[in-house]
Parts: sequence; C-alpha cells; structure tokens
Amino acid sequence: MRTLEEVQATLQIAKLNEEDLNPTIHCLSFGENVSSADYCLMELDDTLCKHIEAGQSLVIRGDKDERAVLCSCDKTYDLRIANTSNLLLFVPGCKTPDQLPITQDRACVVHAEIWGFCNSYWEPRKQRPKLKKLKKLLMENPYAGVPLAGQEESKENRYTMQDLLERIQASEEEIKNHLVTIHACQIDGCWCGLDFDYEMKLLSHVTQLVDSESWSFNKVPLQTSLEELAPLEPREMIEHCLNCYGRRYTDKGEVFYALHEDKVCRGLALMLLQNAVKFNLKEFQEVWQQSVPEGMSTRLEQLKGVVLVDRASSPETISLLKVEDLPEDTLERFNLLFTLREKWTEEDITTYIQDLCGEKQTTGALLTKFARSSLQNGIKVFNSRRPVAT
Amino acid sequence: MVQIVIRGSVDGCSPPQWLLVELQGEMVSRHNSGLAGNVMGDLLYTKEGVPVLIVGHHILYGKLVKLEKPFAVLRKHSGDSPDSYADDATQIPMETDHQGLTSTSYTVSALIKQKLIFKTRPKPIITNVPKKV
Repeated sequence: MRTLEEVQATLQIAKLNEEDLNPTIHCLSFGENVSSADYCLMELDDTLCKHIEAGQSLVIRGDKDERAVLCSCDKTYDLRIANTSNLLLFVPGCKTPDQLPITQDRACVVHAEIWGFCNSYWEPRKQRPKLKKLKKLLMENPYAGVPLAGQEESKENRYTMQDLLERIQASEEEIKNHLVTIHACQIDGCWCGLDFDYEMKLLSHVTQLVDSESWSFNKVPLQTSLEELAPLEPREMIEHCLNCYGRRYTDKGEVFYALHEDKVCRGLALMLLQNAVKFNLKEFQEVWQQSVPEGMSTRLEQLKGVVLVDRASSPETISLLKVEDLPEDTLERFNLLFTLREKWTEEDITTYIQDLCGEKQTTGALLTKFARSSLQNGIKVFNSRRPVAT
Repeated sequence: MVQIVIRGSVDGCSPPQWLLVELQGEMVSRHNSGLAGNVMGDLLYTKEGVPVLIVGHHILYGKLVKLEKPFAVLRKHSGDSPDSYADDATQIPMETDHQGLTSTSYTVSALIKQKLIFKTRPKPIITNVPKKV
C-alpha cells in the first residue's frame, strides 16, 4: 500500500504543485477479482435505470437457436454486445470532486480498489415482442367444445403461464395482453386457444339470443344468457365469449355486457369469409349486414388488417388476409405481400406493415427501405424492389 | 429455452453508485505478473476539479462527464453458488433446467452514472532517478 510520502514524492517528480490540488489523493489498485471475468457492464435506458433503482429484476430469455432477449415485467429488449476501443474501469470507492470535503488542512491518501474493467458492454435495444409463437403454441390443442361422448379431451400441449414464460421471448405483461387479444382461455390452470369454428358457434349463440330476446346489444344480461345457453355450451365458455366480445358492467347489482359493435361485426365477417377464397364484395356486404344483431352497423373499416378488398377487379371482391398470419420478419413480410399483390396503395399496405415498426420507426421509413414507389393513374403505389413471382 | 434472472436488490433499494474511469489503450503490468493486487496509479483533482491520473511514468488529464446512458455492473453466478438470498420469498424463483441444476443468474452490483474520461495524450514524466522514500 502506498504511503502519503510515496504519493507526494510522485507528485513532486510529476512537477505538480500541491497547492493547486485538492488534498485528497486516490491511490488506485487492482482488486483481486479483476481477472475473474464473472462480471460485465450493461447500458441502461431511462426505463431500465428506474427499474433497477427500484430494486426490480429482469430476465433474459432465449432458446439455443434464438437471439437473447431481455425482459422487464412489461417490456422486451434485444440484447447486443457493443465494443469500445477504450478501457472502462469501475471503481467503487472513488469520489468525484464535489463529493470531497471542501476544506482540509493536510493531504491524505484514499485507497480505492478497481473492482473490474472491460472494453465491451451489453446494449439492450427496445423491440417488439415475439408473440407469434404464442398463438402457434396455443393452437396446438385449442378448445373446441365439450368432447363427444366416449372421447376424452386431450390435455397435451396446453401451457401454464410459467410454461409460456419459458418459451416466449416477451415480458409477462406483453404475454398477458396478447392472451386477451387472441381470445385464449384458461382451462384447469392451462392456457389454450379457442378453435375458430367453435368461437364462431359461441358468438352465434349469443347474437341469436340477443335478437330473439330483443335485447339491446348494449345490455345483455349475464345470468339470463347463461341460463338460456347452458344446455348448449359450458357456462364458462359462454362467459368467455361475452368477455371477448363485450364490456362487462354492473347495473343495480346485476351483471350486464355491452357488446362491442366492431368486434362482433368483425367476428361475423371472418366467419363468412373463412371458407371462401374470394367473395363478391357487394354480395358479401349484404349478407354481412344481415348477419349482425339488430341495431349494429357493418362498415368496411371494421375489417382493417383482416381483409383485402380488390377494387381493380370486376366485380369488386373481398378476401381474407389477416396481418397476424403474416411473417414476423420484415423482409419476409414484404416479399409475401408483393407476391399476393403486385402493386399496393399506401393506405392498403400501411395496414399490413404497421406492426413491424420498431421504436421511433415509421411505415414511411420501412417503405423507403423495402419497396419502390411509382405513380399509377395519379395515385402513388408501391411494388417490390426485386422481381417477385406472382 | 433458458431463463436467466438478473436480480435487483434483495431489499428493493437502489444499488450503490460507482465511478467509471475510461482510458485509451491497454494496461499491461510491468513485470507481467498480472494485474490483480497491483497498484495502478494515483488519481488527483486540481482545485478546479480537473482529474489528473499518474500511471507509471505518464501523466494524463481528463474530465468528469455524466453518462448519457448509465451502466449497471452485473455479477454472474453460475452453477450452485451459495445462495445468501435463497430465503427471500419475494425473489423470482431460479429457473431450473430439466436436470434440476441451478442455472446461471446475475445480480446488479452497482450503478454507474458518471465517468472520468482521459482522452488526452499521456505526457511522460521525465525523471533522472525516481526519488526513493
């Protein structure tokens, strides 16, 4: 350990005047742990920093063949390693000038240990969570109604929340929100998807009941619905359907649901389009309006992101194209979109690339990078940058 | 898939704050004895608060900078490291892989919000004979 005298001798040789200096001198030496390599630095953005200051934890998730992802309770980050040509030393006991006593009579030596050093650090970058896998897992064994007599319901390929956290590269909050979006249900503690035809069957039961009872679709009584429909389907499923397509509220102690017009109309449209490749647009719109509950109005805007309308063909047609079914990878997505249709208007294509935008990224930026624009009949259209087989 | 936990603190408090010292170049121990346990140099501040570093026979002048993005110092724990925090019920349980082995985890040892950066060319200290005390 260096003494004050040794340090002062060094200062003299270095021709530094003690009068110009703060009397506290830190003598830095390497701690025993420096070469152990069991530590690293991680850069933090504002959110992560506050998270850590509050003492909260983070989780790194990833499969052998996936890139590592960092998750807080509600956000997902891509993890990269950044290198620097400089050396970064971290010193626990080192003070900055403002932390040192202002006045001090005599010089003194403070021994500070360099705990570690490195020339690279982890760099988290906020990214959209990878949730496509979630729906895929939950549709491995979706619930499709009470099994037929003699058959047992398979419990395989159903996942608890813990299972999902171990398989999906996303934060818990993002996973929970997505479970609601995809209408997943929990049976015996395990999550599974809802078979589409079965989901439509449930929705039809509900909408037909609303019509036959002449209820307002904003005031659907839970109890009566359960009683009337219990002979047809399990009560939990009726209630699940109401939760997916309506908003629950209480009025004078009784529970009601206000059915969400857009969600119901969209659901019924999907049901109609499910089995047809293309539908005559005009015919579709007529049938669609007739199928929704009394008082609800259908509008094509309700189908943004799930259907593609072809106004160039004669007669005009409509077909199913769900954004959630498209590839998550940006390049693959663009390739597929241009395979389906050679030229897209900005409005149409934006709907199908909106979810690809990262933090502070716009669809305009994506289009500039991945597509080529041209004018067709005075309207701006986008096509692929490279030849695509249609 | 693996889940590796980066533990915050045990008691919900903010981790301690350390200082970062940034240097250009590499550090080699004089006698090739490795760095651990060896003296690195002396750090002083002028009365104006300018940090000065004397390393070997070099003198460097630097400045105190607030980091645009703070750093966290993470400490790795692999295998069956002794768990001083195993008793805390509020901790996320460590994930085990199929063989039931305790997997890797990290703790946040410290936060770094400021650094002393020495970017100027080191000046040599010219001596005839180092004054021996």
